[in-house]
Amino acid sequence: MRLTPRHLIYLAVGIGFILLPQLIAVKYYLHLSILALVWTIAAQGQNLIQGYTGYVSIVQAGFMGIGAYSTALMGLHFGLPVWLTILLAPFVTAVFALATGYPSLRVKGHYFAIVTLAFNLVIFIVLMNFTELTQGEAGITGIPKPGSKDGLINWQDRETYYYFVLAIAALMTGVAVMIIRSRIGQTLIAIRQNEDLVGAIGIAAWKYKLFAFVTSAMFAGLAGAVYAHYQSFINPEIFGVAQSLDAILAVIIGGSGTIAGPVIGAFVVVFLPEYLRFADSFRLILYGLVLVLATIFMPRGIVGVSSDLWAKIRGSKS
Amino acid sequence: MIEVIQQIINGMAIGGVYVLIALGLTTVFGILGIAHFAHGSISMSGGYITFFLVVMQGLPLVLAILIALAVGFVLGLLIELLAYRPVRNASHINAFIVALGLTMMVEGLNLEFFGHEQVVIPTNLRQVFDIGGVTIPELRLYVIIAAALLIAAMTLFVEKTKTGQAIRAVAENRDAAILMGVNVKTIPLVVFSISTVLGVCAGIMVGALFAIAPGIGEGLVVKGFAVLILGGLGSIPGAVVGGLVLGVTEALAAGFISSAYKDVIAFVVMIVVLLVRPQGLMGKAR
Repeated sequence: MRLTPRHLIYLAVGIGFILLPQLIAVKYYLHLSILALVWTIAAQGQNLIQGYTGYVSIVQAGFMGIGAYSTALMGLHFGLPVWLTILLAPFVTAVFALATGYPSLRVKGHYFAIVTLAFNLVIFIVLMNFTELTQGEAGITGIPKPGSKDGLINWQDRETYYYFVLAIAALMTGVAVMIIRSRIGQTLIAIRQNEDLVGAIGIAAWKYKLFAFVTSAMFAGLAGAVYAHYQSFINPEIFGVAQSLDAILAVIIGGSGTIAGPVIGAFVVVFLPEYLRFADSFRLILYGLVLVLATIFMPRGIVGVSSDLWAKIRGSKS
Repeated sequence: MIEVIQQIINGMAIGGVYVLIALGLTTVFGILGIAHFAHGSISMSGGYITFFLVVMQGLPLVLAILIALAVGFVLGLLIELLAYRPVRNASHINAFIVALGLTMMVEGLNLEFFGHEQVVIPTNLRQVFDIGGVTIPELRLYVIIAAALLIAAMTLFVEKTKTGQAIRAVAENRDAAILMGVNVKTIPLVVFSISTVLGVCAGIMVGALFAIAPGIGEGLVVKGFAVLILGGLGSIPGAVVGGLVLGVTEALAAGFISSAYKDVIAFVVMIVVLLVRPQGLMGKAR
């Protein structure tokens, strides 16, 4: 295998992520980096359905909520160990995604987006009102960290948790790459490009769409579970439609239909509002404007723009 | 029984609002294939403007409504020109993301100008009619009548006028419409301005009947799309039937089951329709 500049970039990025906690002086930025990695997991999932299959789903944060609540509640009520509930959470989410994906994939394009949004609203309403189970707006507190108190690894330490989330984010990015390179992934891309044609050559497109939807939900469920054990506290506020829009924004800004895109997008979505400390209303206006302008002028996101630039530089050299 | 009739009448008022929202969405979808998600938030801006003119500026209600409608008309034109036209030829996913971005901007602007307290448009219609034990507040009755008139006007416009014919022609077959000499550049402008005016009417009704607050617009537009899915995409009679079904179901659910879960029940109805009749209640089977 020849070493290309591309491999060098990947290597540099990998080392950068590993060294990041040592480079960061302010603890708060480490916290934001962990959140950005959680969002990377969710955004990789969002990218599968939105970027590759071409169906915008607006329920990613809702599915994160299902993952977060299921890991917390399984630990609370059944006394299961943390690592097991984190592993089970994506599968619980998958059950919900199957039940919701089957009817909603009967409608195409925009209407699929609207139906998924309705699901996010339903999830939010249930989390808010089903207080016997979810404790409503007050939320669930004291969700344990992985590992026992006197184990080998000190999970209370933020840095440790950073590496834990980094490992999961890297693993899930790898899973996303594997899916995309497989036959299934190629079929998903074909569905985005021409769904009628996919049907015409005898492929049951709905099975693949359902697969993409459920898989993306599992990514979200895992992200939610990791988030719940990191924060030790969850309430419905962070699993609303606005956060699902953040997931969409992350994919678009980063570059939809690319593997690096969701990673970059997740960091932009988490860090940008911290740098622009505006009032909430301004944040909305700015985000909306960025979304509109990005879609009109750089529909391929940061990854698309930078690879164009790279091609130009190389073109002018030779 | 009286309780049931009471809830049905309550449901018709909110159903009328849903129909007005859905009519705008369905014509935009028919012509441009765009899910105009910002419609709810923009409609709420109309309600806010009316509130602002009446309460802050002391204008009479009718004048305030007329100004709000004019603003809505212009907003509709601007949205089409500035936001949707640039992505006209891109993949449909782009138009939807533009719509999401637009929603965030309009919600942000509403917050910035009108704050996050809920506002109610004051009307002097406090009389309550009592017909055989069923009480109908005057305001609710006028909302139902106004909605019915607007629906009738919209139907006549689309069915009978030259412009309406052109709109239907473009919805049916864009290329053929171009060949027949329909100006496909102006049709979207007409559609967006009319839709936004209808939306503003709905926004004012919500503001007078209930209250306007951040997030209401987004909830309303989702209901509007639920109505389209219920009634069948791109169909005006479908939007009317779907809107009334949704409104009445919600009112009955709120009255007899649980008001906290009334939205959940509305969406469950939508899902059931999707499963049983994916083309909608009034849609043609394809």
